[in-house]
Amino acid sequence: MDVNDRSGLDDSEPPPALDLTPRHGLDDVDAIRRELGKGKKRWITVAGVLIVFAFGFLVVQFLQDATVFFRNVDQAVAERDELGDRRFRIQGRVIPDSVEVIDDVVTFEILHGCATAAVRHLTDPAELFDNPWIPVVLDGSWKPQTVKLVGGTDDYVFESDRMLINHTNEYSSNNAEQVESNLPDDFLVGCDLTRNDVGLD
Amino acid sequence: MNSAIPETTSQFARSATASIPTRVLGCLAVASLAAVALLGLVVSPRDVNQGEAVRFMYLHLPVIWIAYASFVLAAVASALLLWKGAARPDKGRHYDRLAGAAAEVGVFFTALTIITGAMWGRLTWGVYWQWDARLTTTAIMFVSYLGYLALRQIPAEPVVRSKRAAIASLLAAVNLPLGHYSVDWGVTLHQEASLSSLSDPLITGDMLVVLVFSVMSFTIVAAWLMVHRYRVIRLEEIFEEEGLETALAARRAEVDQPGESGLETAGAL
Repeated sequence: MDVNDRSGLDDSEPPPALDLTPRHGLDDVDAIRRELGKGKKRWITVAGVLIVFAFGFLVVQFLQDATVFFRNVDQAVAERDELGDRRFRIQGRVIPDSVEVIDDVVTFEILHGCATAAVRHLTDPAELFDNPWIPVVLDGSWKPQTVKLVGGTDDYVFESDRMLINHTNEYSSNNAEQVESNLPDDFLVGCDLTRNDVGLD
Repeated sequence: MNSAIPETTSQFARSATASIPTRVLGCLAVASLAAVALLGLVVSPRDVNQGEAVRFMYLHLPVIWIAYASFVLAAVASALLLWKGAARPDKGRHYDRLAGAAAEVGVFFTALTIITGAMWGRLTWGVYWQWDARLTTTAIMFVSYLGYLALRQIPAEPVVRSKRAAIASLLAAVNLPLGHYSVDWGVTLHQEASLSSLSDPLITGDMLVVLVFSVMSFTIVAAWLMVHRYRVIRLEEIFEEEGLETALAARRAEVDQPGESGLETAGAL
């Protein structure tokens, strides 16, 4: 459209004056600031909605899963009837002498709170699994099977398909003496199990 | 902190956010980070269980320490703004800038925490991420402070905006003790605090020395970033306020003298 094309207009009439009235009082600085920020506000609202959704998702995750990430061996054994064949995570230290690998299936025993459990692990173990007495978190469920343990026999084995290493907050230089002491001194205090049972002496 | 800050746009155009003390601080930060790299990668021994992966500790622990400290500083500044801001000549804008600068540094270091933690976790746990209590509360912390920073950008009168942000900062801070103590209160995959007591540490001497040095170095880096960020926020305020004043002055002149430059500037506002 040619803005200078005045054909069809009555030239005897003066053109209407351009309305330069400010849209805001010029002294109302805050109103002008609000007007200037309207476009920005839209994007920030979108970002805000996304952040609220992300926050809600995280809170749901926290309530569902986070507060009790795993059960220690003694808890898992005590709650066996309640757990049934449901999947859960179990945590305990791997008894070094119990580890065997047969046809890509790793079997071993874990120990915590004076209780032991037999484990049949179906996938590749974690990288740090070879460390003696390493604490592991296993994802799986109880399966009925009579197995021999260091402390006697059990009618269930824990079948897992996912292994996490639950490393502690202790850090020490790598030398043989410290590897020997990887199991905390008080770990078997109050247990019927002896150091001899778990291959320490 | 204010001495290096220009008061007008003309000073703004000529200035940077650096001053002699911040240049010294910056050089110190770079030098100490280089020393951390040398100590962490070469001097520190391997860990008995984690092997070489333990070197992530010299990065991961300091950055989460900085993140927590920054958010605590943001919360304190926000509380001071709400408590004493109205009585100050600047209506508490100093506290607002301090909270904003601290939160930005905190968010940056929280992102670093999550990244370094994921890499360390892959090497030790065997996974990058798990929804355990510590990791989840850290993610909540990250998202809530992102929300805080977004809230700071919503246009409003400066005093209203700063008060609104201060309340959000205090709400976000509720998660800080929850996150820090989640490893004690819950059953988590994440290990308990590694450096809770210097008198009875669970880290052997050589590793502890490197870790403490690393924490100090990252604290210098964070202080340097925070000072600069504070000054940048002040410069942004000057730019915004003077830019608006300039536009208003032009518009007033236009109204006073219609017909001279009205067509050119009519759309400015």
